[in-house]
Amino acid sequence: MAETILSISHLTKRFDDQTILEDLSLEVREGEVVVIVGSSGCGKSTLLRCINALEDIQGGEIRLRGELIRYGSKNLPEMRRKVGMVFQNYELFPHLTVLENILLAPVKAQKRSREEVREEALTLLDRVGLKEKAGSYPRQLSGGQKQRVAIVRALCMHPEILLFDEVTAALDPEMVREVLDVIVSLADQGKTMLIVTHEMSFARAVADRIILLEDRNILEESDPETFFTAPKTEQAKKFLQSFEFNRKNKAEA
Amino acid sequence: MPDLGLEVLWRGKNFVRLLGGLWVALRISLIAAGISVVAGILLGIAASRKRSVSSVILRIWLGIIHIMPQMVLLFLMYFGTTRAFGWNLSGETAAIIVFSLWGAAEMGDLVRGAVSSIPVIQRESAEALGLKPFQVYRWIILPQAVRRLLPLSINLITRMIKTTSLVTLIGVVEILKVAQQIIEANRKASPNAAFGVFLTIFVMYYLACRPLSLAAKKLEKHWR
Amino acid sequence: MRTIRNIIALAIALVLALSLVVTASADVVYRTLDEIKASGTINIGVFSDKNPFGYVDENGEYQGYDVYFARRIGEDLGVTVNYVSTEAANRVEYLETGKVDIVLANFTVTPERAEKVDFALPYMNVALGVVSPDSRVIKDLSELTADDQVIVISGTTAEDYLIKNNPEILLQKYDTYANAKNALENGNAAAWANDNTEVIAFALQNEGYTVGIPSLGSQDTIAPAVSKGNESLLNWINDEIRALAGENFFHKDYEETLVDTYGLDYEDSLVLEGGGLAE
Repeated sequence: MAETILSISHLTKRFDDQTILEDLSLEVREGEVVVIVGSSGCGKSTLLRCINALEDIQGGEIRLRGELIRYGSKNLPEMRRKVGMVFQNYELFPHLTVLENILLAPVKAQKRSREEVREEALTLLDRVGLKEKAGSYPRQLSGGQKQRVAIVRALCMHPEILLFDEVTAALDPEMVREVLDVIVSLADQGKTMLIVTHEMSFARAVADRIILLEDRNILEESDPETFFTAPKTEQAKKFLQSFEFNRKNKAEA
Repeated sequence: MPDLGLEVLWRGKNFVRLLGGLWVALRISLIAAGISVVAGILLGIAASRKRSVSSVILRIWLGIIHIMPQMVLLFLMYFGTTRAFGWNLSGETAAIIVFSLWGAAEMGDLVRGAVSSIPVIQRESAEALGLKPFQVYRWIILPQAVRRLLPLSINLITRMIKTTSLVTLIGVVEILKVAQQIIEANRKASPNAAFGVFLTIFVMYYLACRPLSLAAKKLEKHWR
Repeated sequence: MRTIRNIIALAIALVLALSLVVTASADVVYRTLDEIKASGTINIGVFSDKNPFGYVDENGEYQGYDVYFARRIGEDLGVTVNYVSTEAANRVEYLETGKVDIVLANFTVTPERAEKVDFALPYMNVALGVVSPDSRVIKDLSELTADDQVIVISGTTAEDYLIKNNPEILLQKYDTYANAKNALENGNAAAWANDNTEVIAFALQNEGYTVGIPSLGSQDTIAPAVSKGNESLLNWINDEIRALAGENFFHKDYEETLVDTYGLDYEDSLVLEGGGLAE
């Protein structure tokens, strides 16, 4: 069995007196693609933000290859460099070109040679079909293009694990595909990924393991075939049915 | 052509005196502007953290500066410090201090506003890439903030240059005072001198402020 | 102008408040006569834009009636004069903080000011004056009928005096000298009341006008002032003014600086020699 990259144990997260996650434990092994699903507001995004220590946690611990990731700790920037994060709204830096967006952290934070990173960045941009946009500013790109740049930006850091936070939720439908295709190809390359998404067919195709988050904790955890064809819990069935219902509506329309 | 009394400018050293007065005004306002920008950025960043001590200090400081006319501050700094502490600041030093206090407060508020207007998630996005807090400010927050506050700070600096006319109240002779002197000295010989002299000042102010606004425009275009 | 005056009043009040709060203030702000002589420089506050009393000529040199006297003080003390450009609003403050040694800036002696600074012997007279057109010269305020109006500039001594002593006279108020002048020239009023130096100068420069009342109300004087308590300097100035009477110094001063503006007719009524004791 492959080595454990990310291990979360007994994680509890509260905002003021509202508990979002409680006593949650989860492990992700090298090369594994884990997809987290669940109804809106169940804490999926918060979980990802905790892993990157963008949120403080009130209990438990998070380790990356055995090393503790702790909010406010001295080596946090160093730990974060090993975790690639892609946000729902891309969060490219508007004052920098596509290439500068990608080069900034590897050059400034990782102190790698500009030339080397530049070459890598252009190769990756080429692979997602955006090589000719290297000198453009984010505002000149479509949503789907921006999100692909954001993925390249995260990849160039050579992270141990990639976190995707509903990366297609803000996109127009015709652009969803181009982004998801990139992620699927990353999965094929054996990247370790933790993905939060509402795209069920994508989840089914890309995931090694599906996790259903409800009620502050993991409710169901299984391989995609089992999850989609034979869910164990009533809530999982209900959750999946909400998509079925949507689909019927679409067919009628 | 109407008589603008322009000939008074060529009498004796009058034109050189006007230029000297302009230099005094520019020296005070540009030194103060330099101090204001540096202090304002530090102050603004410190104050952009909500509920921080520095944001309270900035707010009180700004309140005082806004309530008090600059004239009062100049009086306090020049005469008040002599009475209270026995300091003997030169008029120009007192003026630079007052203008810096004023500029730093306003600049601090501009920077605070600009920094706060950068979405939190931009900072998080930079942090998630493993940039250190200083690097986040240096490469992400400040460059974006500066673009937002550039027009406002140019406006502040030109307001400063214009407000220097008040320093005559603490004995500093700057361009407007020189103008007044020239007009008064020639009240009988060239009663129309006021038009010509003020027209000249207008042109001088314009030429002095023009490079500033040009540079600002160029930068804005560059950033668009 | 009103608001500027209020702001300056606020400034002065705050300066005072600050000095009360902080008790560490120096007791003696001024420099004694010996200290001034030892330093080789005397700081004299003068106007720099009030022609012909204190102004700066085209070569950047201070000139005028007050400056003529200041220059003599420097010569007789054997020190260099450092002229400080003062404004009407900050003359008292300059002396109270010892930033100048003497103020020679057309400084009218008033009881309120005398509480804060020490005035030396006066060297000039001032009073209010009234100028009117030659077609109907007003020689006494009683000649004004109920329909007549008198021009004043807001905030001046003339306004205060007329409101207080002749409330029956209709006043026409203007904010600036230029507006008041225009009003008189347009025949909007029967007369214009102001400092007599101002109306005399106006009548001399504008044909068809006469100063019918050259001296109205109580005569005020203009004198040098020093910081409160600076006796050594005050006594020296007084001795100097008395001594200068022997050479008719201030008449010479008048003829050098004021005669172009006020003419010879008013020389004896405006100039004071020896602090007025010689009269």
